[in-house]
Amino acid sequence: MRWFALAILLPLVAACTQNAVQTGDLAGRPIRVVATTGMVADLVENIGGERVEVAALMGPGVDPHLYKPTAGDVRRLEAADVIFYNGLELEGRMTDTFVKLARSGKPTVAVTEDLPEAALREPDEFEGKYDPHVWFDVTLWREAAKTVARQLSRLDPASADVYAGNLATYDAMLVELHRYVEDQTATLPPSARVLVTAHDAFGYFGARYGFEVRGLQGVSTATEASAADVRDLAAFLCARGVKAIFVETSVAPATVEAVRRAANANGCAVTLGGELYSDALGPAETPAGTYIGMVRANIDTIVRALR
Amino acid sequence: MSSLSVILLTGALVAAACALLGSFVLVRKMAMMTDAISHAILPGIVAAYFLAKGPNLIAGFVGAAAAGLLTVAFVEALQRSRKVTKEAAIGIVFPALFALGVLITSRFFADVHLDADAVLYGSIELAAEDLLLVGDRSLGPQALWVMGGLLLVDLAFVLLLYKELKLATFDPALAASLGFPPVWLHYALMAMVSVTAVGGFTAVGAVLVVALFIVPPATAFLLTDRLPRLIALSVLLGVGGAIAGTLAAFALDTSVAGAIASVTGLIFGLALLFSPTQGLLRRAWRLAAQLPRLP
Repeated sequence: MRWFALAILLPLVAACTQNAVQTGDLAGRPIRVVATTGMVADLVENIGGERVEVAALMGPGVDPHLYKPTAGDVRRLEAADVIFYNGLELEGRMTDTFVKLARSGKPTVAVTEDLPEAALREPDEFEGKYDPHVWFDVTLWREAAKTVARQLSRLDPASADVYAGNLATYDAMLVELHRYVEDQTATLPPSARVLVTAHDAFGYFGARYGFEVRGLQGVSTATEASAADVRDLAAFLCARGVKAIFVETSVAPATVEAVRRAANANGCAVTLGGELYSDALGPAETPAGTYIGMVRANIDTIVRALR
Repeated sequence: MSSLSVILLTGALVAAACALLGSFVLVRKMAMMTDAISHAILPGIVAAYFLAKGPNLIAGFVGAAAAGLLTVAFVEALQRSRKVTKEAAIGIVFPALFALGVLITSRFFADVHLDADAVLYGSIELAAEDLLLVGDRSLGPQALWVMGGLLLVDLAFVLLLYKELKLATFDPALAASLGFPPVWLHYALMAMVSVTAVGGFTAVGAVLVVALFIVPPATAFLLTDRLPRLIALSVLLGVGGAIAGTLAAFALDTSVAGAIASVTGLIFGLALLFSPTQGLLRRAWRLAAQLPRLP
């Protein structure tokens, strides 16, 4: 029968399989790390220093909610000694894969895994589902840095001192960054601290630094804004006298532009305040190519436009 | 197994399962059904999200499969009314179901990740990492279990009901008079299509499943007009395309699903040009031969 063709082909494919063995010895070479977002990659690079070789799956401007891996990512994941990801379902369906990988014994770490539940923002609909955009609250990212240091030390105890030292250095930089964001925010009158963007990536930012945050699309970029959302937001802008609204690098700007036009049609002078980095870092060679640079660029853009 | 071999095997299993059913779907002129299902499952996913209180792959699969079956039932019923054509029936049902899902999502779940991409669709690139766990013990890649299981069920379905399916497809009147109503066979076939498609979505994502359901059978249709050959050729072309596409993706460091879909499209293009019976070149040649020679 013709099914024989099938019966022959499948085992043939199976026959060209060989086992990919992980070498356990980390003393003589850097730890191969795969990180999902640029923010996570930057964090691991800062804590791991010379001891790690980090590959980020998602480049600048990529939306992590909808990311699809490539063949090169497959190779990097296979060769990785450890995988670091954001967690809290930022990576969509990939999160599910990573959770299972961790349970099966492969070193796989969500950098948000040690955050206390009380620190996490819960959308109204369901308990136990959290907003994943924790990195814009610098104090939470300091906790994530500790998680990375702890997990690297567990994997590579011989270099635990290196990780502890790097953590101390980086933590000091984060403390300084936190203070910088607070100082910049303080230059705005409290009534001007309203941040309107394309999707709700800035919830933690708003809660920590005292901004009222309104997003168009909800937490996930996959939900489309409705006509009523655009109208309501335009009315809100006029009522509060908000000077500027913002575009995000990883979300198409069309809906934000629609809100600006609707508000202008109502007679309010709302402008586009510029681009904020939300779910992805800026290009590597720019200042916003690191986590610290990104947070600074955002607060500078916000303060400049709302003042 | 290395990641590459898991992906090759997964791709081959998906291609075989899709082409097997896709051949019948194509002959029944319902090729867009799988594409329709990929949209129409949204309300099922939303319902599952609500009942499971969060994203849950198994609940999502059950919800999606149920919505897929509903799509099939609506399309068959609408088509059977003879008020609209087959493709119009598909075009009426799936936007309605998809829109229902969008309405519920934007009304009740505006602040959560809730769509097929975030909850249901897997990707073939992660086939080796996405494990099937019992407790904390890994039984190997989940996609291999899902697609291997579906292929076996599909194969059993087609082998057991081959004569009936053939008769019901090409001569429904005779089939009915011989005692097996084609209606139920069609429902059964389309139910298999729905479950296989949704299973494929969870294992490898939507684009790949839709492409492998339609393109290899359409290619085979250019090369033969006998059903058994059509099926065998569809499976061979699908499996060959999956393997060639995967290897191309690894050589070029690009999306595996995209590369497989492109390779199957390329094979279709070649068949369209060079098919010995129905190819465009062959037809042009025949036309030229018929032209009266100029003196």
